[in-house]
Amino acid sequence: MNVLLDLAISTLTQGLIYALLSYGVYITYKILDFPDLTVDGSFPLGAAVTAVLLTRGTDPFLTLLIAIAIGALAGLVTGLIHVRLHVRDLLAGIITMTALFSINLQIAGSNMTVERAASTIFTADPVMALLGALPLIYRKLIVSLLIALIGKLVLDVYLKTKNGLLLRAVGDNSVLVTSLAKDKGLVKITGLVIANALVALSGAIVCHEQRAFSSTMGTGQVVFGLATVIIGTTLFRSMSFVKGTTAVLVGSILYKGCIQIAISIGLPANLLKLVTAVLFLGILVFGHARKGGVKAHA
Amino acid sequence: MKNIAKLTRIAVLVLILSLAFSAAAGCSKTRVIGISQFGEHASLDNCRLGFLQGLKDAGLTEGQDFTIDYQNAGFDGAIATQIAQTFSAKNVALMCAIATPSATACYAAAEDKDIPVVFSAITDPVEAKLDSGNITGTSDKLAVDAQLELIRKLQPEADTIGILYTTSEPNSVSAIAEYKAKAGQYGFTIEAIGVTAQSEVTLAADSLIAKQVDCFSNLTDNTVVGVLASILEKTNEAGIPVYGSEVEQVKRGCVAAAGIDYYQLGRQTGAIAARILKGEAKASEIPYEVISEYGIYVNSEAIAAANLTVPADVAARMTEAKDA
Repeated sequence: MNVLLDLAISTLTQGLIYALLSYGVYITYKILDFPDLTVDGSFPLGAAVTAVLLTRGTDPFLTLLIAIAIGALAGLVTGLIHVRLHVRDLLAGIITMTALFSINLQIAGSNMTVERAASTIFTADPVMALLGALPLIYRKLIVSLLIALIGKLVLDVYLKTKNGLLLRAVGDNSVLVTSLAKDKGLVKITGLVIANALVALSGAIVCHEQRAFSSTMGTGQVVFGLATVIIGTTLFRSMSFVKGTTAVLVGSILYKGCIQIAISIGLPANLLKLVTAVLFLGILVFGHARKGGVKAHA
Repeated sequence: MKNIAKLTRIAVLVLILSLAFSAAAGCSKTRVIGISQFGEHASLDNCRLGFLQGLKDAGLTEGQDFTIDYQNAGFDGAIATQIAQTFSAKNVALMCAIATPSATACYAAAEDKDIPVVFSAITDPVEAKLDSGNITGTSDKLAVDAQLELIRKLQPEADTIGILYTTSEPNSVSAIAEYKAKAGQYGFTIEAIGVTAQSEVTLAADSLIAKQVDCFSNLTDNTVVGVLASILEKTNEAGIPVYGSEVEQVKRGCVAAAGIDYYQLGRQTGAIAARILKGEAKASEIPYEVISEYGIYVNSEAIAAANLTVPADVAARMTEAKDA
């Protein structure tokens, strides 16, 4: 049973860490209706900044705040390119993402590893004082859980503020926003800033967890984010009482769970992605069938 | 009530997933060696096969003394992380990590449980911070001096060596620095072009050819070596010889290489792992090893096509690179 428990814990931890990225994609893709490819660059950006700061002995929790700020900056750039320079949404993201590849390498020098002596959010003094008696994987789980939940709650509260409602309005009916005498460009920029701050935070925590930054770690993260958003929202589509953030949190955990199952089954390594794809399809069909059932009732 | 029914369905789904989990995580009695390979290409595959041979050489039998759990991450760092965590959850006796990203992931996953990690195919374990703790292995550092000497002997008139490398691979960046520092001693200048993605490699090759370099020399750069065939297509047309950095590249059409044989490197790694499994030493007590003997590998067909002549002293030491 220990094996199962350990596997479940580390899978859950991965799902929680990457859930922050999913929140980000949820904001841009689902709320703003903005396909933001900046993510592939802002995710490693968070990790690069964190790797450099950790090796210099910066306080681990401070590195998270700095990563959030830098990620926000990346979102701001995409937003400005799109709104002020009138570049199409997809292209604006691609431009920032491409630039970030070089910038990340400029920040970190090349791929980077953080030595084990450097303290991370999982081994820092305050965490050790509270949870020092627990094995590392439990500490990782608890810290990631806390961060993922704090992120979710803050986001939930924000989305209910006037500013947050405007964000949702831009995605649903941007004419309405203009008729309210609000600048929809500014709202879009705000959304991109928040989204990429979350994505960079996710990258930063991955760096804490892996003690490494790799320039290619961002590749495919947009796809991951989209998949988790779609899985999560499809599963909970008919349950209006479940918040979007909760849905993508579950989506992220399920995604990592699928990969974990594919690994654990011990299938030929090259089939991993295929199996993962089949599992996703299963989840989506499951969600869809359920939706159909509800309709039949109505 | 409707909500409860919906939640039940979700719960059923979660149950199915966890059942799949339990079916997946079967326990076995013999000690398990988890091999995490970053991706599949010939050099890394050779490394793994050599590793298994090394264990066999040391008198350990698969199925009896150990079983192998082999996983490869398909060059995806996030998957390498999950593979390493699976090994850690299964409490494997030893993790064998092939290539740096896998080693970093295994080392992080083994941190708490103190599972020994044996790595291979890492150029600079010190730079990758994999030189302390319950970890050891073998390094595949390039034989830059031997390579430059070989090129000088095969092409006495050559001036410039072109090298393609990936800017994000620390191994390649440090190798380029070493090439530039040492080229002068052998009368060469280095023309290096960095790329960030595989799709840029052939463009960079065109650019090196246009700069009229006398030859190409390869590093163990995964991105560049991955498209070696298309580089060779261009260089063959231009009549420029390409030197490899290890035997596999020569088999695939490079003229020659002074370098390591990844199969041998893997064997050496397997021998280290065997010592740990037998309890003769701990990974933390064994310093990482570098292969000191480099072989000279040639591809006679490619040499003939490039109109090169092999001097007698090189001919005496060289091995023809061919699949057995």
